Amino acid sequence: MERQIINKKKRVFSLEPNKNPSAVFTRKYTSHLVPALKKLNMNKNSSKQTVKHEVDMALALSAQEFAWSRFLLQKLSSSTNPTTTTSSSDGIQILERSDKEGGNEEGEIEEKLRELQTLLPGGEEMNVEEMLSEIGNYIKCLELQTIALKSIVQDST
Amino acid sequence: MLEGLVSQESLSLNSMDMSVLERLKWVQQQQQQLQQVVSQSINNSPELLQILQFHGSNNDEFLQSSFSQFQMLGSGFGPNYNMGFGPPLEALDECISRTSSCHMEPVDTMEVLLKTGEENRAIALKNKRKPEVKKREEEKTEKKIKVEAETESSMKGKSNMRNTEASSDTSKETSKGASEIQKLDYIHVRARRGQATDRHSLAERARREKISKKMKYLQDIVPGCNKVTGKAGMLDEIINYVQCLQRQVEFLSMKLAVLNPELELAVEDISVKQFQAYFTNVTASKQSIMVDVPLFPLDQQGSLDLSAINPNQPTSIEAPSASWETQSQSLYNTSSLGFHY
Repeated sequence: MERQIINKKKRVFSLEPNKNPSAVFTRKYTSHLVPALKKLNMNKNSSKQTVKHEVDMALALSAQEFAWSRFLLQKLSSSTNPTTTTSSSDGIQILERSDKEGGNEEGEIEEKLRELQTLLPGGEEMNVEEMLSEIGNYIKCLELQTIALKSIVQDST
Repeated sequence: MLEGLVSQESLSLNSMDMSVLERLKWVQQQQQQLQQVVSQSINNSPELLQILQFHGSNNDEFLQSSFSQFQMLGSGFGPNYNMGFGPPLEALDECISRTSSCHMEPVDTMEVLLKTGEENRAIALKNKRKPEVKKREEEKTEKKIKVEAETESSMKGKSNMRNTEASSDTSKETSKGASEIQKLDYIHVRARRGQATDRHSLAERARREKISKKMKYLQDIVPGCNKVTGKAGMLDEIINYVQCLQRQVEFLSMKLAVLNPELELAVEDISVKQFQAYFTNVTASKQSIMVDVPLFPLDQQGSLDLSAINPNQPTSIEAPSASWETQSQSLYNTSSLGFHY
């Protein structure tokens, strides 16, 4: 209770909320995620999978100007179980294997690029140049997402 | 006058090295390719000869002054090649001024000029082209007009990417040419072979430039990428970072799932979080992100346990064999650690 009052006192407002892209993204993200979580809460159906689904959905919806978000949306709508981060464990293994190769440098770089493609949703369908630029904004959005999630978690405890 | 020049030149020829003769042969080959460029004005030739008289003295100063004179003549460059000596001679100045012991060059110029009176421009450009041809790998050999157009347009600093590339290489390769003046013909042979596949190599180079630009941008985004050099290392870092972020998101969403029943979020409170994100420096390390948040309640700062949301922890929590119960238990433990105050 006290904490909420403190938070309210320290509220800060931006003069131009639409100009800063990270603020825009964060606002969109939280505005998608929080109602979805509330809905989940009401349904008493909070399994790990569904929350993750909502989290990814919020990410995809808040960043619709990027190509990877479209792919992510497709994935999410096609399957109820999102698979965006299940490749992470595979990714580690692939990385170790490429270290052991030690052979052709060009081949190594290509392997790493391919791995990066697997990390990015929809990365396999892009060519290398496109993928590199998409990775850039994907990283940014992931960072903002982690901040938003952290602050939501913080606030709820 | 011409005869005098020839005699002077033949004398100097005898004292030249073989490499220069080979170079002359190359130049002749170039001229054969330049047969298409037969739009020489006779007006320029007497002036050029006059200027080339100065060459006989092998005096660099004269050369430069003469070329600057010539520059005045050539007002601007365009499709009119008759007046196009100015800009390339500028670069020619650079070349010659950098070649310290280059007695050969002006003599070569003369020699070649005398052999084919029509291709004055090609000859005058020869010395410029020598180092420049190396980087002009993209130009087709049969389209010399284009080559020279682009040479001169690069002088003018047009915003053609190829030219900017070429001009950026100019400084490197003219100085290279100065030091390797004896091996010029070898280098030219290489360049000429490269010229044969110019379109492909040009496209390749453009593609590579784009990719390297994007890699640089990624280097700025991903923390810790500056220390690693080379594409492979940077890609490694980027991959690790993306995986780390994804794991973090997963961990947080799991946490959120656990804490979901306890959510008492009012929508107004969300604005606080939004602007936490707004002010936070994202590029800082994960731990410092929490510390930097300005809206953090003061009493919590001292006892903040950063390990609560430590990205390294999820790896232990997310052990593939962990069951849901143990995971949730560990989450409760960490959350109690972190938010205890």
